[in-house]
Amino acid sequence: MASYGRELDDHRLARRLLAPSAILIMLVVIAPLIFAFILSLHQAEPMVGGIEMKPVGFSNYSYFLTQSGLFWPSVRVTIYFTVVSLLIELVLGIGMALVLDADFPGRSFMRAIILIPWALPTVVNARMWEWIFSGSKYGALNGLMKVLRIFPSSHDAVWLGFDAPLAGVPVIGGFLKWLGVTKALNMIIIADTWKVTPLVVLLVLAGLQTIPGSLYEAATVDGAGFFRKLTLITLPLLKPVLLVILVLRTMELFRVFDIIYIIMQYSIRVVGVLTYEVGMKFLHFGRGAALSFLIALFILGLAAIYVRLFYSDAER
Amino acid sequence: MRRYALGVLFVLGVLILCGTGASAAKETLNVIYMAQAGYQPDDIRDMADLFEFLTDTKVNITFVKYDEQHEKIVASAVAPVATYDVILLDLIWTAEFASRKMVVPLDDRITADIRKDIAPAIMDAFVYDGKTWAMPFLANFQLFFYNMDMIRKAGFSAPPRTLEEMVDQMKAMKAKGIVKYPWTDSWNQKEGLVCEFVWLTGAFGGDTFDDRGRPTFNQGPGVQALEFMVGLLKDGLANPKCLTNDEDAAKDDFISGNAAFTTNWTFQYALMNDPKVSKVVGQGEMGLIPVSKSQIGKAETASVSGFQGAAIMANSRKKDLAWQYLRFITSPLVQRSYLQEMPVWTSVQTSAYATMMDRTMPIKSKQIAAVHHRPKVPPYPEVSSILQRYIHTALQMKMEPKAALDKAAEEINAVLKK
Repeated sequence: MASYGRELDDHRLARRLLAPSAILIMLVVIAPLIFAFILSLHQAEPMVGGIEMKPVGFSNYSYFLTQSGLFWPSVRVTIYFTVVSLLIELVLGIGMALVLDADFPGRSFMRAIILIPWALPTVVNARMWEWIFSGSKYGALNGLMKVLRIFPSSHDAVWLGFDAPLAGVPVIGGFLKWLGVTKALNMIIIADTWKVTPLVVLLVLAGLQTIPGSLYEAATVDGAGFFRKLTLITLPLLKPVLLVILVLRTMELFRVFDIIYIIMQYSIRVVGVLTYEVGMKFLHFGRGAALSFLIALFILGLAAIYVRLFYSDAER
Repeated sequence: MRRYALGVLFVLGVLILCGTGASAAKETLNVIYMAQAGYQPDDIRDMADLFEFLTDTKVNITFVKYDEQHEKIVASAVAPVATYDVILLDLIWTAEFASRKMVVPLDDRITADIRKDIAPAIMDAFVYDGKTWAMPFLANFQLFFYNMDMIRKAGFSAPPRTLEEMVDQMKAMKAKGIVKYPWTDSWNQKEGLVCEFVWLTGAFGGDTFDDRGRPTFNQGPGVQALEFMVGLLKDGLANPKCLTNDEDAAKDDFISGNAAFTTNWTFQYALMNDPKVSKVVGQGEMGLIPVSKSQIGKAETASVSGFQGAAIMANSRKKDLAWQYLRFITSPLVQRSYLQEMPVWTSVQTSAYATMMDRTMPIKSKQIAAVHHRPKVPPYPEVSSILQRYIHTALQMKMEPKAALDKAAEEINAVLKK
């Protein structure tokens, strides 16, 4: 009886200790989310001293899905940015992690310095790449090309140009144009990948540490080469880590805003840039909120697909 | 418990003391200004220091990039009490802020004497719905910059008076290998692109919007203007980099000696003549923007306005003090002390002192009288965004100029009808 009473006291204490956190989460996460959803159901515009709201149901959502000429092109270009960046990050990340997992002199130093790009704030990274890609003769990449004598001294390439790659190639050229791919977009993918790949390396490296060395020893005895070990041991056992990376990076890439806005402003309208433009530049708060929820739905959908693919595979 | 009570008492005591201190302190005025073109932050701080000295007021100034101002001003307007009492109002925001009642009209404060001394072209930029919403502060506009050495090397003795003459000079420069791309400009997908399109439409004898704010840019002069821009790119006269250039990058192209011609805001003049950053000191000159030869006899030049006014937020609690400050920083006395920017007052522009201190004043006076405005419509950011998008698409040669402008006009009309 006495222990039951103490249990009750423990529960009460736990509730009291958790209450401030719960209230804070309600105030700073749940309440704004509810407000944003309410906003998305209104024509909401700022006026002096507040926001003027007129209920419009789900018409803000249907506007983007059926009427806006900018929404679907922005989804396509965002999907291209997300998929290509993810592929590059995964291939490079796994490759670099495998190298850093091997035993070689200076491994600790390499593991430490590889994190430097990740430590840079995105704004700094964006500005740095903006200068590297600058089309003037002050651009670092143009300078490098001239030093290597790839470009003549009078030539300055426009790295952030709007020409579609492979435009002359049948089918592929047309498809890339339809996706909204430009040279500038591909250059920004390089810039973003440079910053984020170290994170992928770090996560994969952590995953690699959990794979028992005995598995590789047994595989070696069985005569398996590097490729078979990679496909039959490493990658299957990395699945939980890869799932985390996929979900995390897909979320971040799909809602990308900063690096693209800083380098290209509104010239490359990924959904994040479009949301900012509609909400904060045109001051259509309701439509901006609706667009944010549409992005969230896309990300949730993708995350659900990942989880289903990976976990159902694991259960089999 | 006792310790807890003592702690509460201590905090309350500090708060009361701070409160008393605050009430005894000077009145504070909050101001937002851009750290970019126009008067530089040090100048603005100097003006505020003098105002503080004269009026026993504390002036807090928040400096932000031009692009960040609009968002911060809106956030300030939505709050119950304004974060900023005085804001810098770009002429393109006049209709938007006025229709949302975010700023107060200043008609009862701007006297007839003030109006008499400010050119209507400047004053009208801040008039919407019959009321004046800001006091003119910064008379920014575009001017023509040319490299006289390159012009001479190409075999000409004077800068071009018409756009057609300029094309001839550029072709000669290119043929002689004097410069790879004689023209540079800020044609990236930003507000600057609309500004370039506005003066070019003016140079072909038209305006982008009519008096009632309806699009006219998809007719005659507007189409000619966009065709001219596309033509420069097709003929290899304009640097393809223009499509990613803002005004700063265009200025860099010119002052590094990589272009013979450009148009830009007034700020380029000082940088062009600064040997620390410019490679064209003594070669670069400033003049009037040429117009199409079809306009000769009707107009000597054309430009675009980028006027900025000082306005008072409607939710400011210190409107009288804000007006005092605003009146001070826009006064002829202050503006004649900072002649690196064009004064808004006719009496200062034409004064012997100004003409003596700034030998370009006659050129500037002529150019400012030929400015064309962007439209005064409440959803201007949306209207401008559509226009930027289609002009840029045409410059990328993904659409024909006329088709692009027709589509832009159609979308803009839909936005204006809402």
